[in-house]
Amino acid sequence: MRNQFSKIFLILAAVVVSFIFLYPTYEDYQFRKNLASRSGQDSIAYLEQHQEDILNAKLKRIKLGLDLQGGMRVVLEVDVIQLLEDIAKNKDDNFFAIVKEVREQSRTTDESVIPVFGTKFQDRGIRMSRYFGNIRDADNTILSYLNDETEKAVDRAIEIVRNRVDQYRVSEPNIQKQGSRRIIVELPGVKDEREVQSLLQGTAKLEFRLLRDPAISYRIMQSIDDYLSGKVPSDTAAGSKTAKKEEKPKDALDDLLAGNKPAATDTTQEAKFLREHPFFSYVSPDQQNTGEGYVLETNRDRVIRLLARPDVRRLLPVDFEFLWSARPDATPDGKKFYRLYAVKRVPELTGGVIIDARASVDPNDNRPIVNMEMNAEGSREWARITGANVNKRIAIALDNAVFSAPTVINKIIGGRSQITGLESPNEARLLEIVLRAGALPAPVSIIEQRSVGPSLGEDSIRAGLNSTMWAVILTVLFMLFYYHSAGAMADVALVFNILFLLGVMAGFSATLTLPGIAGIVLTLGIAVDANVLINERVREELAGGKTLRAAIDAGYERAFSAILDSNVTTFLTGVVLYQFGSGPVQGFALTLMIGIVASMFSAIVITRVIFNIMLDKGLTPNFG
Amino acid sequence: MGARTKMYIASTTIIVIGMLSLFVKGVDYGIDFRGGTELVLSFSEKPEFGQLREILGGAGFGDSEIKSFGSETMILVRTTRQGEGMTVATALQDALRAKLPQGSFQVLRQDKIGPKIGKELRQDAMYAIVASLLVILAYVAIRYKFSFGVGAVLALYHDVLFTLGIISILDGVTPWLNLEITQEMIAAFLTLVGLSVNDTVVVFDRIRENSKIYRSWSLEQIMNRSINDTLSRTIITSGTILIVLLVLLFVGGEVTRGFAFALTVGIIVGTYSSIYIASAVVLDNSLRKNKE
Repeated sequence: MRNQFSKIFLILAAVVVSFIFLYPTYEDYQFRKNLASRSGQDSIAYLEQHQEDILNAKLKRIKLGLDLQGGMRVVLEVDVIQLLEDIAKNKDDNFFAIVKEVREQSRTTDESVIPVFGTKFQDRGIRMSRYFGNIRDADNTILSYLNDETEKAVDRAIEIVRNRVDQYRVSEPNIQKQGSRRIIVELPGVKDEREVQSLLQGTAKLEFRLLRDPAISYRIMQSIDDYLSGKVPSDTAAGSKTAKKEEKPKDALDDLLAGNKPAATDTTQEAKFLREHPFFSYVSPDQQNTGEGYVLETNRDRVIRLLARPDVRRLLPVDFEFLWSARPDATPDGKKFYRLYAVKRVPELTGGVIIDARASVDPNDNRPIVNMEMNAEGSREWARITGANVNKRIAIALDNAVFSAPTVINKIIGGRSQITGLESPNEARLLEIVLRAGALPAPVSIIEQRSVGPSLGEDSIRAGLNSTMWAVILTVLFMLFYYHSAGAMADVALVFNILFLLGVMAGFSATLTLPGIAGIVLTLGIAVDANVLINERVREELAGGKTLRAAIDAGYERAFSAILDSNVTTFLTGVVLYQFGSGPVQGFALTLMIGIVASMFSAIVITRVIFNIMLDKGLTPNFG
Repeated sequence: MGARTKMYIASTTIIVIGMLSLFVKGVDYGIDFRGGTELVLSFSEKPEFGQLREILGGAGFGDSEIKSFGSETMILVRTTRQGEGMTVATALQDALRAKLPQGSFQVLRQDKIGPKIGKELRQDAMYAIVASLLVILAYVAIRYKFSFGVGAVLALYHDVLFTLGIISILDGVTPWLNLEITQEMIAAFLTLVGLSVNDTVVVFDRIRENSKIYRSWSLEQIMNRSINDTLSRTIITSGTILIVLLVLLFVGGEVTRGFAFALTVGIIVGTYSSIYIASAVVLDNSLRKNKE
């Protein structure tokens, strides 16, 4: 009996853990349902109220694959040949002839391009140092340098893509590196192929933008705040706009502030502040007078929409623009916030002038720094700009997202600048990537693109749920019919099996795909196999004249090796499939493997415990 | 076991017919393995194939393939033409939009696979199937005897070839069934391998056990006994799996239909092969050794 307790404990623990893992998925479902049942104002209010919970649930639920929720999957590959062409110098006919040959050849083979490239030069007896690196470099040195450049180009491309996708505001994008030079981008819910394509393939735009004077920045924020709160705005053009706002009481502003916009009767401190300072409630100006505004991550979308409003835009001076920081910073208590920079609309300099940028360490104090080098034309401009703006800040913006805004310490002559004051080596590395992105494009080509419309996804979900339901019903009935009470036990195990399977998936934040659902359905069929093996064996032992208890003991014991072997072989094919498959097929392999492990546990341990309890209570299970 | 010669002949015949069909008719490789562009369109009413072909031909896509996908109103358009980004898909859609009444179709899915990816996926699929066979051979050989491993793997070859043959024969017979060789189909084949060996292993397990009990029996007697002992389990388990596969086949929607079909054929063949092929190979092998 003691053994029994530990098993019961194990089962209960597994059940509890599964429920804990599955709770966010349930929560997420509830939130969606509640949101769908509300409309307009009400739904925004609801969203406001539960914002953090909703985000949290979204993060931890079982994710749906692109084939189920619709969206786009794009695989980009860094175009190595293009890159080689871009970084070569003294290009002549020989060089172009080789590039052409390599390009031709790379269409038909999968060999890495760079060695092929190297061989071509060798075949013609041309030293690669004619086009790359230093004149005295050996070919091998150059080849490894080129390999290095390719890898860096991939990092750059990832950064550019991530930066843009981030600004495009796709919810839950997934960007990852595959192999050495591929990038997988998954964008759920995105439909417009053409837009995404330009998003992924266009050339990156790196700019140096002068920050506006903190005083001006603050004054503009103040005027936006005044305007939004309905006070008479300081700006000349805004008077008529206020009137317009009163004409249409259901203005976008009300929508934006809905839920948080307190009733006039609400007299709490916060409510009062929100009413009087709608802008400063979401954007807090930096107290240290840098002119930056801080916006909590959760409020960012709202502020973006606010700033995009035509009437708000009209409040901004001509040479004035707000840019966001590319990444959120975190406060000590873990809240994430973005910075809002006030910059000049016209860039001082664009990234084309950068020759090189390298993350490094300051030899004096071991702090991370970035060294940046510009070409002659850039250096001249840079000297003028830095000379005129000592002690002012210049934002480094890639595709309009600010990665850093260092202060100019002195006039920089000769084009070699050093960026200091970085917080971590990682920040320095990121800045290096960003700076080089402006100088050296990372040419990428789309080699795979799949998009699934939302209606197909919905159909698939429905079909998947239906087939799971029918599979459960039919299997349960069949087992009941064939094995009577022993079948009922197998059915109980089956239910636990589904629970564990889903629990584990949620625990790993696994992605559910349509083949994944097929895997679950298939698992249902396979899961009862262990019980079939056991029950058949018990029947045999009973026929051999054993008592019920002895027959059950013998049945479980003797069936075990067959159960183990048969499950291991199926599991192994699952492993192979996971290894070689991609995307949806991996989803299938994953559910199959989890299902097999879960089914062994539930079929062997759970049913055994139930049998033992029944026997102890003097009940006689029936094996049909 | 006595009937094994007949079963060998029956299996061989069907596989040979299947192989003939494979050589003559071949199988329909999906976009994953060929590379190119593929669109799945849902029409509000059944479209005229001739008209679609004419439109696409007029737009310079005369080489494109048009077939129904799951139901009469769903159409799959495919071309192996390669273009930068999604230009081919866009051109296909534009051509259809220009000639057909507005709103007559909706794009459900569009895939573009570059030539390299197609080739890689083909290679991966090959590796996957070979790797799974090797892994199973190794596992069974370690847990049992090497000849058992060979028997199991031969049975698997049998199952895979048999199913592939059936797929080749039935492909294109009915629009309801889409039997393209896609990544999902490869997954079905690997699963089939796993499930089929599952049955085989259960029989082997019993042979091992029985050969300890009935030491004086011949291998053939032990095998017959073991197969009979496990027969009801084999049928019940295959039955439950067959139930869920039929559910998938009929309720699971067009995307997984080909997958479910391959597995359905596979599970039936697999059950039969684990009885008549796997053990029979082990038996013949041991008989031959005894003669020597």
